[in-house]
Amino acid sequence: MIYHVRHLSTLTYDSAVDEARFNIRLKPIESPRQRLLNYRLSVTPLPHRRRERFGPYPVNTTRLEIDAPLGELSVLSEFSVEVFTPPPLGATSPTIAHVRRAAVDLADLGMFAPAAYLFSSRLATIEREIGVWAAPYLDPGAAIVPSILALSSALHAQFAYRPGATDTDTPPIEAFRARHGVCQDFAHILIVGLRAHGIPAAYLAGYIRTVPPPGMPRLIGADAMHAWVNVWCGPDLGWIAIDPTNDRVADEDYVVVAMGRDYADVSPVDGVYLGSPRQTTRVEVDMMPQDL
Amino acid sequence: MNRVGAAMSAASNGPDPAQSGLEGYAPDPGRGDVYATASPAIAARWQDVARAIRVSGADGANKAQAYLKRHVEDLGLAFRLTGDQQERPWPLTPMPIIIAADEWRRVEDGLIERAELLEAVIADLYGEQKLVSEGKIPAPIVAGSKDFARKMVGVTPPSGQHLYVYGVDLARGPTGEWRILADRVRLPTGIGYAIENRIALSRGTGSLLASIGVEGHNAFLEAMRGGIAARCPREDPRIALLTPGPFNQSYPEQAHLARYLGFPLVEGRDLTVRDSRLYVRSIAGLKRIDALWRWIDARNLDPLAFDSRSQIGVTDLFSACDEGQLVVANWPGSGVVEARAMAAILPRLARTLGGARLKLPNAATWWCGQERECAHVLRHLDELVISSAFRNPVAGLEDARTRMGASFVGAERDALIAAIRRRPMDYVGQEIVHQSTTPCLVDGQFEPRAFTIRTFLTRDADGQWTMMPGGFARISQAGALRAPLMRADDLSADVCIVEEWHDRPAAAPVKLVPPRIRRAASELTSQAADNLFWLGRYAERTAMTARVIRTLLATAGGSAQDTTSATVRSRISALLAGWHAVNPGGGTPEGLATVALGSREHPGAIIAQIEAMRRMARLLREHLTADSWRIVNRGMPIYTALDSDSLAAASEILIDRISALSGLVAENMGRSWGWRFLEMGMRIERASACIDAARRMIPGSASADDLSALLDLFDCRYLYRGRYLAIPFVAPVLDMILLDPNHPRTLAFQIGRLQDHIAALPSLADDGMAEAPLRLVRAISARIAALDATKLDDWTIGDLGQSIRDLSDAISHRFFLPVERPKARVAAALPE
Repeated sequence: MIYHVRHLSTLTYDSAVDEARFNIRLKPIESPRQRLLNYRLSVTPLPHRRRERFGPYPVNTTRLEIDAPLGELSVLSEFSVEVFTPPPLGATSPTIAHVRRAAVDLADLGMFAPAAYLFSSRLATIEREIGVWAAPYLDPGAAIVPSILALSSALHAQFAYRPGATDTDTPPIEAFRARHGVCQDFAHILIVGLRAHGIPAAYLAGYIRTVPPPGMPRLIGADAMHAWVNVWCGPDLGWIAIDPTNDRVADEDYVVVAMGRDYADVSPVDGVYLGSPRQTTRVEVDMMPQDL
Repeated sequence: MNRVGAAMSAASNGPDPAQSGLEGYAPDPGRGDVYATASPAIAARWQDVARAIRVSGADGANKAQAYLKRHVEDLGLAFRLTGDQQERPWPLTPMPIIIAADEWRRVEDGLIERAELLEAVIADLYGEQKLVSEGKIPAPIVAGSKDFARKMVGVTPPSGQHLYVYGVDLARGPTGEWRILADRVRLPTGIGYAIENRIALSRGTGSLLASIGVEGHNAFLEAMRGGIAARCPREDPRIALLTPGPFNQSYPEQAHLARYLGFPLVEGRDLTVRDSRLYVRSIAGLKRIDALWRWIDARNLDPLAFDSRSQIGVTDLFSACDEGQLVVANWPGSGVVEARAMAAILPRLARTLGGARLKLPNAATWWCGQERECAHVLRHLDELVISSAFRNPVAGLEDARTRMGASFVGAERDALIAAIRRRPMDYVGQEIVHQSTTPCLVDGQFEPRAFTIRTFLTRDADGQWTMMPGGFARISQAGALRAPLMRADDLSADVCIVEEWHDRPAAAPVKLVPPRIRRAASELTSQAADNLFWLGRYAERTAMTARVIRTLLATAGGSAQDTTSATVRSRISALLAGWHAVNPGGGTPEGLATVALGSREHPGAIIAQIEAMRRMARLLREHLTADSWRIVNRGMPIYTALDSDSLAAASEILIDRISALSGLVAENMGRSWGWRFLEMGMRIERASACIDAARRMIPGSASADDLSALLDLFDCRYLYRGRYLAIPFVAPVLDMILLDPNHPRTLAFQIGRLQDHIAALPSLADDGMAEAPLRLVRAISARIAALDATKLDDWTIGDLGQSIRDLSDAISHRFFLPVERPKARVAAALPE
């Protein structure tokens, strides 16, 4: 499946800021599951300096330096991407105990290696409470794939999707206790639950195709970025992507932009500047399948 | 532990040469006490020191302890425990730990070997990662450390060296063997305290340490400075010490170190990165920084590259490391080797890499991430201590503190075992390290106490490691020491290294590079200039307010003064109210004076000025002479509220104190730019006080009493009498307070001095034009020179006051950091 994506972010300040520096993380990574056909990032105003970097997790970062006083920044990310259908989940899967052992033993420190996604990270701190909640689904002797699917379903069933209830800094434990949140919270809670039991789990940021109701045109600009979870299921199966917000395995409806330990590693825009004005953010995302 | 104190003979009143000084000291023979097991020659040094330290004063209190306490206060040596608002005095105990140089050299050999091993590990982890891919270092040991800065992989330091300073915690066991308890490469906390302990101890005990041949720390510090400087690409490099700021637990030691090493002490906001080069914002514009000794964790170093929540870092410092040839001691990410899990694998790693056993072992450690090791820990839980492998809170060790395995019983034990099974990589088991004891002075008697030593290694200009001859010892009042930071009841002691035989030639001295000779201190950060300026203003405001209080109290009657009229009182209280030192509306002189001295509700009260001065003093340790610092750091004098005599006495103490400070500033402070800013602060404050006082005392029908009071405020009543031989009249008084350029308390005199200072400061303009502060002060000066006291009106005086405020603003704007300095994070788009 080929998609055309157009993502426009506009940051407006009620008084101009100086010496602004931004990290933009919007260019999709390439992987065996997806191929980037073309990409363009347009920034207004034109930055004084712009640098591209890949890493240290599977994340593309564009650094913008804007020295002139800045009242509004707009960032337009446009690309075409081909997404391949993932292989069906096989009937056999290793036990959780086996995956745990393999995750610790694997002699690999790379950005796709499980070791990087095994420990507490800035936002996804391992919490005993979440570990206790996840325990009944994660019996060490059980096969990993059905177990993590059951955990994701439980999360979906027990937690309410509620936009606006949390923000980007909300720790997972708060959303967990409140039993509600947005996709970021769902992803973080699942990650923490898995890591608490020694299972490597990563945060995926990207876009999901919103299937329109029959007979209705697709809504333009109604979509936003989405978040889901990559779970490492042993050296043979590798990473399996699960979307707890929609309770499904991520398939060719999903375009990955970046993978990190939690939201902080992949947040689409962050930065620093001199000044402390009010900031308003506007985001428009269109994701069009090519055949439409 | 044996209780021996009770059996000791009564404390003597003087040294008795027949006594060893340590008679009656009887430690447990099984503990391997460091004095009891010393050779006869070294034991004799212990006794020399013990005899001198045991001397009691007339009041029976221990003299050495009392001296030491005073020196610790004078040095401003202090620390905070996490959560403390106030700094605590440093708990230094007088009896040092004395170690034979031969024994110390063996420790040094072992630690140099370890420093080189750690350097090799760090270089690999941030380079090829062959040790990981070949299975010699398990990946989770690296990934689990919050100090593993993944972003630094592939970023090599300009000199190839990651480590410059290596700290290590050591314990001495019952048979005299040394063991490493912890490696410290992230932050060398304690290095300043080791140096301060030595200074306090040598000042407190006179020539005692020299007489037993104790090796000093100067060569070590010089080696460190030379070692960092030698790696910088520019000759005569600029090296700064980067501090997290005054609220950090070890800020006082950072400030001391900066002063000893002559490094500017900078905070993140003093620095800026332009096109991948690091600069400090100084009063002479941006100045390139070649090397940083950082006291900030890697993750807080750069909010753009690492944790975006950091408020103490430097935006884009990462690119200065990556592309800007910046030398950083120690290189960001070095802390990855501090993990306890790393200590578990280092002995085997050393054997595979070098083929030999480590000369100095670390406490035996088993990392539970390895199956066999985990089984060992679970089997021997009762004989081990259990720690968090990466020093962070984990299930069962929620406070991240090490616990005895045997202390886990019942359900808690089951929970711990289950947690270790779930996430084995988070845990290590370690052998219980038995610590030998040292004689510690407790209530005038020596008693055995367990100790650990933190010592430090640095590289000299040739890149060779060298160890500090000593370190700082922590002495436990109770049980074993495992916590990394000082606890409330721990004591600290100096560690002295002595040669067994005095005549033995000392080891080859460290290679030292003499600095280029300089005269005036040529640099000043904008932040320090700002602080010095305000220190000057607060000091002068304190003195001025104290003078006003004194004059006010003199109106209370009973004295032979002639300023008794009620209008004087109301004018003076209005002056104090204008400074927000009292409420408007007046009151009794005693009542007003009490408020103006010590009210916490009034921002202009003296107590607020004193507190502001002390706050500045803490930020300016490296800029002030020791004596000035002592004066500035003093608290409020003691007085009785509403007691006229007591309040007047307190005011005079304050006046004398600030006069002493002015004297020291004039006579003892180098004519640096820093001195000019301190002076400028005092002059601006004095100038505006002249104007405020004149405006309150003159309007309407100023009586002779009012004018006398005004002359009193500026200490020139007798000058007036001598010059005019008459009662005070308005015009001559105004001339004497405002316009006479030759009397050091007039407005005109302050402006003249300000003009000299501003003209001497560096200019950023390359077009030959004067900058705003200089133009402004010249205009004020010309205007004052043209004034005639007989025609001076209130509007003109008020307008002069406004131009002085404008001058202060112009100085701030040109030389200090922008007020708008908080860096805000960008709230990013929320995914849904």
